[in-house]
Amino acid sequence: MSDVRDDILARLTEVVAAIPNLKSSYRNNVDITEDDLPAVVVFDGDEETGEVQNRASNSPMLVSMTPEIVLVEMTEGQIGTELTVMRRALIRLVLSDTELNALVAKTSPRGEAAIRYLGSQTDVGWMRSLHGALRAQFLFKYMLKPDEL
Amino acid sequence: MIDYSALLYDPLYAELGVPATLDAGTAGEVAITVIDATRRKSATAGSLEVRSVGPSAFARIPELTAKGIARADYRDSMLSFNGRTWTVYSYELTGNPNGEDFGEVRFMLRDGQVIPPEPEPETA
Repeated sequence: MSDVRDDILARLTEVVAAIPNLKSSYRNNVDITEDDLPAVVVFDGDEETGEVQNRASNSPMLVSMTPEIVLVEMTEGQIGTELTVMRRALIRLVLSDTELNALVAKTSPRGEAAIRYLGSQTDVGWMRSLHGALRAQFLFKYMLKPDEL
Repeated sequence: MIDYSALLYDPLYAELGVPATLDAGTAGEVAITVIDATRRKSATAGSLEVRSVGPSAFARIPELTAKGIARADYRDSMLSFNGRTWTVYSYELTGNPNGEDFGEVRFMLRDGQVIPPEPEPETA
């Protein structure tokens, strides 16, 4: 039994924890304090299959999973620059990680699996100092094989 | 008309107020009384909530005016009270039935620095 979805999310959490100068990293933690910052949190993503073909119900299907990664920082400096530096490391680490790429590639010998950066959104506001968050979405396409779950 | 300064603010500031120093540049350092209005504050980013505080303090506009602090001096001034020095990044006027110039101003504060304690005097 194996579930590639959780394998990807677990590895993704390890990968983003390597962003330089982080103080904390979490998976699915929805409540942190300023003492955790700078922080990164991985949120498990939605899955979509789009399967409409007339095939057996347990046939392998191509799944698109879109986890969200939130980078959070509070600084007396320029929050925009600090978030940009973290975003650069995030994209590089995720897209170039050998283990993540292997996890999705092995599910689809025909080469349909993929990892893509979809985009990001930023939020800023005042707390003790200027606070900023960057939410980034990635696409993981992999073959889901019901009989192997 | 009720005198809000004498009947409302003065007793409040006598009980809840703390000594503060406002450095507004042209007027130099001025001793005033403020009420610490620092409150919990959180921000959300998607599903994530980050908890912190929103530092702020109330001061009486008549006291500021009497000590030479004009409204144009508020922003970017330095306010010290309760062991920290803060930068005023913005402010809001609370208004007053006697006119806004007789009301309070809430200083919105950022980047507080802890004021180091005075060294103990050496004993012979």
